[in-house]
Amino acid sequence: MSTPGPALAPATETAPSRRRLVRPSRRWSRALLIAAAGLALLSLVAEFTGASELTSSGTFAAAFRLATPILLAGLGGLFAERVGVVNIGLEGMMILGTWFGAWGALTYGPWWGALLGVVGGAIGGLVHAIATVTFGIDQIVSGVAINILAAGVARFLSVIHFADAGGGANQSARIPESIPRVTFPVLAGGEIAGVSTPNLFGALEGTRIPILSELGALGFAITANVSWLLLISYALVPVVWFVLWRTTIGLRMRSVGEHPVAAESLGVNVYLMKYLGVSISGALAGLGGAILVLEAAGIYREGQTGGRGFIALAALIFGNWRPTGVLMGAGLFGYASALELRSGESVHSLLLFVALSLAILAVVRFVRERQATALVPLGLAAVIGWAYVATDSVPSQFVFFTPHLTTLVVLAFFSQRLRPPAAVGRPYRRGQQQ
Amino acid sequence: MRIKRSTTLLCAGLAASLVLAACGDADEPADEPADVEEPAEEPEDVEEPADEPEDVEEPADEPVDDPAADDGEQVAVGLVYDIGGRGDLSFNDAAAAGLDQAEAEFDLDTTELEPSEGGENRDELLRLVSGEGVDLVFAVGFAFEEGLGSTAPDFPDVNYGLIDGFLPDLDADSNVVALGFAEHEGSFLVGAAAALKTENNRVGFIGGVEIPLIERFEAGFIAGVEAVDPDIEIDRAYISQPPDFGGFTDPAAGREIATGMYGNGADIVYHAAGGSGAGLFEAAREHSESTGDKVWAIGVDSDQYLTADEELQEYILTSMLKRVDVAVYETIVAQVEGRFEGGYRAFDLETDGVGYATSGGFIDDIVDELEELKAQVIAGDIVVPDAM
Repeated sequence: MSTPGPALAPATETAPSRRRLVRPSRRWSRALLIAAAGLALLSLVAEFTGASELTSSGTFAAAFRLATPILLAGLGGLFAERVGVVNIGLEGMMILGTWFGAWGALTYGPWWGALLGVVGGAIGGLVHAIATVTFGIDQIVSGVAINILAAGVARFLSVIHFADAGGGANQSARIPESIPRVTFPVLAGGEIAGVSTPNLFGALEGTRIPILSELGALGFAITANVSWLLLISYALVPVVWFVLWRTTIGLRMRSVGEHPVAAESLGVNVYLMKYLGVSISGALAGLGGAILVLEAAGIYREGQTGGRGFIALAALIFGNWRPTGVLMGAGLFGYASALELRSGESVHSLLLFVALSLAILAVVRFVRERQATALVPLGLAAVIGWAYVATDSVPSQFVFFTPHLTTLVVLAFFSQRLRPPAAVGRPYRRGQQQ
Repeated sequence: MRIKRSTTLLCAGLAASLVLAACGDADEPADEPADVEEPAEEPEDVEEPADEPEDVEEPADEPVDDPAADDGEQVAVGLVYDIGGRGDLSFNDAAAAGLDQAEAEFDLDTTELEPSEGGENRDELLRLVSGEGVDLVFAVGFAFEEGLGSTAPDFPDVNYGLIDGFLPDLDADSNVVALGFAEHEGSFLVGAAAALKTENNRVGFIGGVEIPLIERFEAGFIAGVEAVDPDIEIDRAYISQPPDFGGFTDPAAGREIATGMYGNGADIVYHAAGGSGAGLFEAAREHSESTGDKVWAIGVDSDQYLTADEELQEYILTSMLKRVDVAVYETIVAQVEGRFEGGYRAFDLETDGVGYATSGGFIDDIVDELEELKAQVIAGDIVVPDAM
């Protein structure tokens, strides 16, 4: 097992060497700054083009809902890859999550559905761990096999359990109960003991003042009529960060993904960490599937994951194998999907936003780095800007792949800065020398 | 290297199991080796078309020697569903209802098959069931067109009913009857119903996949709305584009689209999105409950008021009925009575092959107007545009 290329860089925590000295708190504030700038730009574009759907609370709420399954599966992928196992099987684990989530919800109630979805996904993760860690099967092969297997298992179980209970071979009955929802008092005008309170975010959105109104819409989207399960999902982002970067077991897991031989020599149980990471990975993907059933659809349907597990992998790479990055990737995809589904016309205004973002990126690069690197975004900005001016609408075929295209473009620009765990994808046998 | 060898062996084993699983589907060269089929449908053995004819004892297309239906002569009927299958509470369930109805009245031996998730193996299933000594096979859905075109000539003793599809050059002697529906006419009437019932002067249409068949629903709906009031705004959206047929199975996307339409002021939304329609009904309930403004959904294919959950029924204004059940039932009756005829059969407003549902009584006040429009369509005074 020789190591090709320079991938075995020092197994430390820093991002690419140029930014070695950037402290985590600075990184957070920088991410916040970029998000704020993006929102401001979006607000200006919405104002300028009159496409109010770009920044309405409805679009943001839809974006949150659509992003959640991808976020959870992405966090799942994060756990697997941080222990050095590529998890192409996320989609299959999500499928198991949808089926077990629906079955649990129909049999015992919605919270049990969520829990059983987690269990179902974890079983898928465990299978992947057995195959890749114990037997050393190629991680891609095993992942693909799990995707196929999960679809078959779900169909098989549906025939047994759903066909005579108001469903069929590929769908369940409607899930009658959903997870309770909450509207926060004061922030979004929820009620305390039956007394209604002011609606701060709602009022902000109503002001129609650029940026302020967008912030209000964003706040309203995450505080009004939102499911507890969604809130729990987003709360998992800091939890995952804390577990992986601030606890002993997290450090051990990451060390296994960076340099398993070194970890083993220091007494870390590499196999155990890998099993743990991949099983948690499946559990999170399973929760994502369960949410798809319980929150987004209200019914189990074969094929309803629709490739979200693969999108989650893209979000993971986009997010540079970090929880906040995964959140941004999932959010981006969720936003683009929401826009596409709710208002295909707004996608045209989005072109202007993309062109302006690229232009800004070009300027930043021109100022801070070698000037040549600014040419590509500048050229693209010109092309997209021209497309915006020259057309009145985006053909519907293009609209449909907006979410995918957005992800692809962003990946293309930031891939140079990405640093995957050093030992990801490589099998490890106990006692190997390097 | 011991490790490496065991890895290789396991990989080989895995690959072999995949190949074997694919072979199980049919002895056709499977273009989809990754296909996992439920065991219940797994055939042990599929005969070649060549050695097939001897198996069929009763040549089905023999109209002279009619074994009277009540005689107890068993007729074997196969039915291959489209994506969604029995239990989709919509299109496929309508076909299943026709089969069930016939089964209750006649002595039938029925075989029902459902294709895999993406429907890639539907043609294999069609060929498979044809080779099992059945008299009549239904191919439920336009997607079978091509497969049936190549399968039917290989099994001259089997009769076929193709629902929704079109094959060229059929005549009374063909072993295929193409059962077509005038979806645009039915959609015209529910469009008129929506226009008569809307209070916000804004209605919506959600299509599953942007294909000609679904565009036909859309065109009819729009014509119906405009026939009543051309000033009513119509929001239109499709969930996916071919070749991605996920738009028929993504209730989450259907729900988001519908939530957006209701949020923008549409108060009645019609869907032609198969299983994704479940999301529309949920959205109608949620919007009505959270805002207090009652909104409506319009179902499709089956009378979805009847199959919907009790909590959702009060939001289903009406449904565009596509009497697939009638088509299936009547074709089986013809087969049983020995008078099966190939060719084309159109189910339109005139023959009550399409229509609208009145379950729930929400449109009782406008039935007269709808009946009048219906009469005008039948009489040819109104020509509903056909997108196909």
